[in-house]
Amino acid sequence: MKRTGFLYDERFLLHKTGPDHPECPDRLEAIYKGLKEAGLLSKLITIQATKARQRWVEAVHTPRHLIRFEEACMLHLPEYGCPDNQMCPDTYEIAMLAVGGVLNMVTLLMEGKIDNGFCAVRPPGHHAEVSQALGFCYFNNVAIAARFLQLKWGIEKVGIVDFDVHHGNGTQHIFEQDPTVFYYSIHEHPSFSFPGTGREFEKGTGPGQGFTLNSPVLPGQGDNEYKAILQRDLLPAFESFKPDVILVSAGFDAHVDDDMSDINLSTECFTWMMQRIVDMAEKYSHGRVISVLEGGYSLKRLPELIVNHVRVLLGDMERID
Amino acid sequence: MFIDKSMTRNVVSIHPDTHVLEARELLAKHRIRHLPVVDENMKVIGIITDRDIRTAMPSPFLEEEETKKEKERFEKLQVKDIMTRDPVTITPFNTLEDAILLMQKMRVGAFPVVDQEGRLRGIISVRDLMRAFINVLGIEEPGHLFCIVVEDKIGQMKRIVDCITEEHISFGSILVARHWEEGKRAVFPYLLTSNASLVKRKLKKAGFELLDPMEWSLEQLPKSES
Repeated sequence: MKRTGFLYDERFLLHKTGPDHPECPDRLEAIYKGLKEAGLLSKLITIQATKARQRWVEAVHTPRHLIRFEEACMLHLPEYGCPDNQMCPDTYEIAMLAVGGVLNMVTLLMEGKIDNGFCAVRPPGHHAEVSQALGFCYFNNVAIAARFLQLKWGIEKVGIVDFDVHHGNGTQHIFEQDPTVFYYSIHEHPSFSFPGTGREFEKGTGPGQGFTLNSPVLPGQGDNEYKAILQRDLLPAFESFKPDVILVSAGFDAHVDDDMSDINLSTECFTWMMQRIVDMAEKYSHGRVISVLEGGYSLKRLPELIVNHVRVLLGDMERID
Repeated sequence: MFIDKSMTRNVVSIHPDTHVLEARELLAKHRIRHLPVVDENMKVIGIITDRDIRTAMPSPFLEEEETKKEKERFEKLQVKDIMTRDPVTITPFNTLEDAILLMQKMRVGAFPVVDQEGRLRGIISVRDLMRAFINVLGIEEPGHLFCIVVEDKIGQMKRIVDCITEEHISFGSILVARHWEEGKRAVFPYLLTSNASLVKRKLKKAGFELLDPMEWSLEQLPKSES
């Protein structure tokens, strides 16, 4: 079995978003409980979060974004950046912890102490732009991890796979001019779903042309379409890019029971996807893959989805074809 | 919404006595498709398009001998020889709606914009109108599109707006498809939110019918006969 890191910190529950908000602490509690009941916690290497160093956060975000966000928390403002981003005075600290935890995971991976890992973090990250919080996201955890891999660990090529049902506008914009970070996203078609970006003709700009790839999927589609599209788009793209490390923006809101979208994936399809991602990591990246939680709001389905996800990382999951 | 606000002001134009080859270079250089043709007083006397030029060019299927002759002919051609004379123009104080309807009627891609004396002030093309359309759709800001089927009676829009405003969500735009099924209309609010599940729940609770996205259509209008 693989040595799989698991980032979880009870302080992630302190980011409170108010009543009825889908991005709620219950999500992580459900995930933790699910892993515990499946007897997986003892098989994982638990990693604690520590506050990220500001310089790594600023490898992606502007100092102005950090200052305004911190101020909004100190002033006890109910939201920052946009009305969806409801928060509490602790949110800034927790967002820094989430980033720091993900970077701790990267460090252990690069030191060879783990083979791969899953980060159960809140708040999520992929909508966060360089200087803008959006769509429940404040700091772009995955983008910062990619820059950290390059700047601190000398990794040349990072491949990002984003299967959250929403397009990761933040991650795309951060790397769209950069040929050293390949951003791939599969998501519900932007004419129907937030944030309205991620059309198939968005393929990167300037020197980054050809290093962004989007697969929009029409509402109502499910496993068969996802599998066919990933085989058509993602697999050949990473075959030619050959990432040195793979980062996953793991959102589970494309599940049929998640009412955030009109995409109808089964639980098994998430396993299928993650197995293909791990296959690619084995082939191109010495197995190095770190997955970071983004969306996924069905409290009923999250436990099983994460249990399977982690089992795939552990290499403890029956193969799905 | 006046043409004046949406037209391209620094319009590239050309004199009728210019060689067609030069016109072709101008179009390529500025990556445009329409060149208003103006006299010494900037009065619009014609328009020349990339298609006019391509039509005038020697056919690639000709024999070598003929090609040579055709080439010589083409090199001598001037703008006035192939331009459309007295093109349809529009004024800065016509509206965008005028332009869209006129384009559909005349089947052209651009109008020179002229003042009262017929002097060139700008150009309005399909591209300018699309930019205006993208702006009113609001889709350059992040948001989520919904489709609500309502009865065709007074007060429905207020209920929708109230419902959404209660959640402190802003509108990017609202489109209405007028000809839906009998007695119904389809309303498409583009909302600046990522919280789709909240909005869906709220609207359903208020008794609205949400339509399956794959059934959405704005094109229930009869096709224009013009």
